[in-house]
Amino acid sequence: MFVMKKSAVQEKSRGVLLFAFNTNAVDYVKIAERSAQLAKATLDLPITLVTDSLTTNTIFDRVIQVDNTLQNYKPGQSNYLWRNGDRYRAYELSPYDETILIDSDYLILDDSILTLFEQEFDYRIMTHNQTPDDIWNETMGIFGLQYQWATVILFKKTEKSKMLFDLAGRIQRNYRYYVALYHIRGSNFRNDYAFTIANNILNGYNQEMSDGIPWTMLTFARGINSLTIKDTIITVKEFDRAYLIPRQNIHVMDKNYLLTDDFENFVRDVCA
Amino acid sequence: MSDLENITNQIRLATDYQVNKRILREKTQTDLQVPHNGGLFKVSIELISFLNSWDQDELFLEDLYQNPIKINRKELLNKCREHYQMVMNTWHVRHEEIRRARKV
Repeated sequence: MFVMKKSAVQEKSRGVLLFAFNTNAVDYVKIAERSAQLAKATLDLPITLVTDSLTTNTIFDRVIQVDNTLQNYKPGQSNYLWRNGDRYRAYELSPYDETILIDSDYLILDDSILTLFEQEFDYRIMTHNQTPDDIWNETMGIFGLQYQWATVILFKKTEKSKMLFDLAGRIQRNYRYYVALYHIRGSNFRNDYAFTIANNILNGYNQEMSDGIPWTMLTFARGINSLTIKDTIITVKEFDRAYLIPRQNIHVMDKNYLLTDDFENFVRDVCA
Repeated sequence: MSDLENITNQIRLATDYQVNKRILREKTQTDLQVPHNGGLFKVSIELISFLNSWDQDELFLEDLYQNPIKINRKELLNKCREHYQMVMNTWHVRHEEIRRARKV
């Protein structure tokens, strides 16, 4: 009788993980649904959503329900609820061996991220950021470290990755202490700061950000009027100017735009 | 709509060629990165020239993460050549597209 043996080398699972917690002002789950459509069309990977809302959208291969009780406000906007806590649970919640953890406002339009998985690493955090007009080199405070961007984190299920996420959780729970220790401007919790600090500690308080993604994220921080794509060129229209950019992953901070019909049309065009 | 409003609207939608050009170059720099043997290398004319002139087939090269990576010279050279040509061609095509568009 022929008995099929289990292969010693099992294929590693890989997927995209999104967190979305709706607020009184923004339907983050809807944004995540659109972002997931782009990610799936571009990367052809399974997608998992972590949320405390109900969604029946079939774009997600898995929806994980969690409680998120952190009440936070956007820096400088005291009436703008921002439920950005518990990202540190990504390690524990991710069903994948190799995870692409992205913010729902990060639009995956090319597969450059996948080339990074061909290397040995524990995790990679987005480190360099720029707007069309400027390099975004902010620090966490006047005397603080330059921060990294939790907008995109790639991680493999390794001991060091687990430590990164555990540390980020510890930082969230003791945020006031770390605000003082790292001379952070403002007291609103930010995942960017939590992961920057965790990475800094894990690397022996070394400021060299050796676990960074080796390219620059393109961020549109101002209001967007429309996005269109033609072949490999994307036209981004803000309210007072426009840009023609090559097709690439972009970070769009205007949440209101991401909820518009225009953006829905853009997603449809990309996925067509 | 008056002529003045028309002109104003057109100016508002003008796109800055220099900014577009810079963003395109930045993207091209990203595209030039190639993974090889567990390392990540940025293809450049210096790297291609070096690989072309080195007289041994196995060597260690520093990658973008400052790790020494064991490489097969011919294998990486071929990969770099192909990749460089593809990325440069794409850059040229995209550059022509943005150069033509002063307004969108």
